[in-house]
Amino acid sequence: MPDRSDPWSLTRRAALGALGVGAAGFALFGPSAPKSAGGAGGGGAGRIVLDYWEKWTRHEGDAMERVVAAFNASQDRIHVRYLVVSDIGQKSMVAIAGGRPPDIIGLYAFNVPPYAEANAVIGLDELAPKFGVRMENYAPGVRQVMRHVGKWWAVVNTAGSVALYYNKVLYREVGLDPERPPRTIEELEEHSRRLVKRTSSGALERVGFVHREPGWWSWLWAYHFGGRIYDETRGLALIDSPENVRAMAWIARSNEELGVKALAKLGDGFGSYFTPENPFLTGKVGMIVQGPWIANLVDAFKPDLDYGVAPFPVASGMERAGGEGGAGPVGLIDTDVLVIPRGARHPEAAMEFIAFTQRQDMTELLARAHCKPSPLMEVSEAFQKTHPNRGIAVHRAILASERAFIAPPTPVWQRLKDEFDGMVLRIASGSVSAAAGCADLQKRAQGMIDDAARTRRARYGTLSQHGGTGVPPVSFTRGASHRRDACATDAENSGGSL
Amino acid sequence: MTSRGRAWRDELTGLAWAGPWLIGSAVFVLLPMGMSAYYALTDYPLLEPPMFVGLKNFRDLAGDPTFWRVVKNTALYAGVSIPVFTLVALVLAGLLNSRVRFGRVYQAAVFIPTLVPLIASAMVWFWLFNGEYGLVNKVLGPVLRPFGLSPPAWIADEAWVLPSMVLMTLWGVGQSVVIYVAAMQDVPRQLYEAAELDGMGPVRRFVHVTLPMISPAILFNVIALTISAVQVFAVPYVMFRRPQGTNPAGHYYTMYLYETGFVYGRMGYACAMAWIQLLVVLALTGVMMFASRRVVHYTRT
Repeated sequence: MPDRSDPWSLTRRAALGALGVGAAGFALFGPSAPKSAGGAGGGGAGRIVLDYWEKWTRHEGDAMERVVAAFNASQDRIHVRYLVVSDIGQKSMVAIAGGRPPDIIGLYAFNVPPYAEANAVIGLDELAPKFGVRMENYAPGVRQVMRHVGKWWAVVNTAGSVALYYNKVLYREVGLDPERPPRTIEELEEHSRRLVKRTSSGALERVGFVHREPGWWSWLWAYHFGGRIYDETRGLALIDSPENVRAMAWIARSNEELGVKALAKLGDGFGSYFTPENPFLTGKVGMIVQGPWIANLVDAFKPDLDYGVAPFPVASGMERAGGEGGAGPVGLIDTDVLVIPRGARHPEAAMEFIAFTQRQDMTELLARAHCKPSPLMEVSEAFQKTHPNRGIAVHRAILASERAFIAPPTPVWQRLKDEFDGMVLRIASGSVSAAAGCADLQKRAQGMIDDAARTRRARYGTLSQHGGTGVPPVSFTRGASHRRDACATDAENSGGSL
Repeated sequence: MTSRGRAWRDELTGLAWAGPWLIGSAVFVLLPMGMSAYYALTDYPLLEPPMFVGLKNFRDLAGDPTFWRVVKNTALYAGVSIPVFTLVALVLAGLLNSRVRFGRVYQAAVFIPTLVPLIASAMVWFWLFNGEYGLVNKVLGPVLRPFGLSPPAWIADEAWVLPSMVLMTLWGVGQSVVIYVAAMQDVPRQLYEAAELDGMGPVRRFVHVTLPMISPAILFNVIALTISAVQVFAVPYVMFRRPQGTNPAGHYYTMYLYETGFVYGRMGYACAMAWIQLLVVLALTGVMMFASRRVVHYTRT
């Protein structure tokens, strides 16, 4: 009989009970050894289980799951588990830092430079060819994304390029030729003005083209004015370049013309991207800069929408270089990539899976479901003929273009982009002039780039721990020469492409 | 058993019971705090090992315009929202404390919004404040039109971000109201009777009797509000982050701290920001505790 006046006897029992419950909980739900063979979700005894983190959901995720299922069915040594992860950049970073990453991660192209420079992903120069994956298999524009500081880090699993999508019904309504999309910025402005519709009180009901929609690439306009915002060969920010200042002034002028407050109010009514309220679907916006994936949006919510696709216009004079036999259209390449993170338990098996996803039939399966072009050089006739995106030829042309560009390959890109977004918002609202905004950000951007370079030197003694100089072998030094662009290499490249 | 042995055993028993908490605090609070203090002095990109850089992060923060912008936005928000919130909570508590029919129902109605998860309420307010379709403007529009005015775009307009945030903060006023009502009900009746005999009206009674008597509760609430205002994150994160970029007026300290650490991978810089935030909160709390010595009255019984 326990002595109830003495708390010890009860305490001991309770303590032992609590310890027992804790131990049972730990045994049941606590950390377990990495699975290298079958078991729960392992798909059969003796198979290596790979964890694959991917950001896609809906039809895009379904398509990737079909590829995973095909791989799992194609052999009996490896089983891939597909896991959808939101905010994949952040979560992958934490998982790698914590030493327990998955085996394969589906990242964005802009993640490659920071991950590569931190050695957070495994280099593929030796691994990829062992499984038959070769750089020359890919479209030229796509190769820029896969390499950084002279090494191969990522494989592109779906390739997107950005173009102008325009509503042909609205074109007809305002008397524009729906088969003649704008080729120059000046034409774009003219078409945009004609598409504007206001209520009797002057409120905006519809706009032609607005930079803020969808707002994913606030920084790309300089390239369409013949410039760029970053020179990776010398680590120079070019935000105050005349081309970018002109582009920003164009944004300020367009917003002022439409009315900043009126536009803010109209924009507040724009639905999110994958909703029936997307302003391109509702007709509130007549022209939009978008990637090929928008065809899936149209198919899901407004399949009868009559739209056209064209390369996004360029400043007057630049369009001539993009004609037949020319350098190709100017356009952003925005891709998804697969990487093997540092600390992955089975890098060889992971590469085997990645190689499977890069087979022509698999890339085409995935690209078709995502409404994107294939990242590979070789595409089947059936893929081209039956592709669900009516603008696939335009997107393909951008991938193959000498004037295609990618997001600035700098490890500070994410920060720089957010700062750039802020600058564009201020310029668009009229709170700062284009020249002043660009000058201010130029100073800070160069500070960020220099600071990152100084830190890398302090860590590794060179600009890169891989011994590189920060100069990627696939240069995209297209664009008009800037006052800092004095070196011969740049002058040759830019002169030829413009 | 000797009394000394028994006392020793009681000590051990106490320690055994408190042990899990002590170990948990040491491992999950003190150790991370110590580590973050060290990381604040390093360049720590998360994907690479930390590298000691001394006070560089703090020096860089001093010259970081985004840092100063979020400090300004957060200070403005705290400076406006805390007095407004406290005033509204006190007025509502005063009204609810008076004998009204269905008083309990009103109390419940004021408290219920605080049960709604933050993200859910942020989404609701996001749509209420929508310039084009929002209910707020649907109501305001017809009222303002005769005067030749039109309602603002609220969260889409930099100038209206602060009023929107303050209005949204009032959504959670119920928790403070409940505390104030409880404190008011503890005020001895004889004090009111004496004040009434002295000829004080309801307003003077509230100012000279109620407020001093509930001053400890006010101090507690103001300190809690200050801490939550300095750390404001979820609501503006949902409302002001857009694909086009974060509305500059809706960019707050903890949002920038999170972005710095987890989006830009600058953990050392983020840790420096976190320590500044902690020191500011401690300093503000200390100042409030010190300044309140003469105006806060504790009833000793």
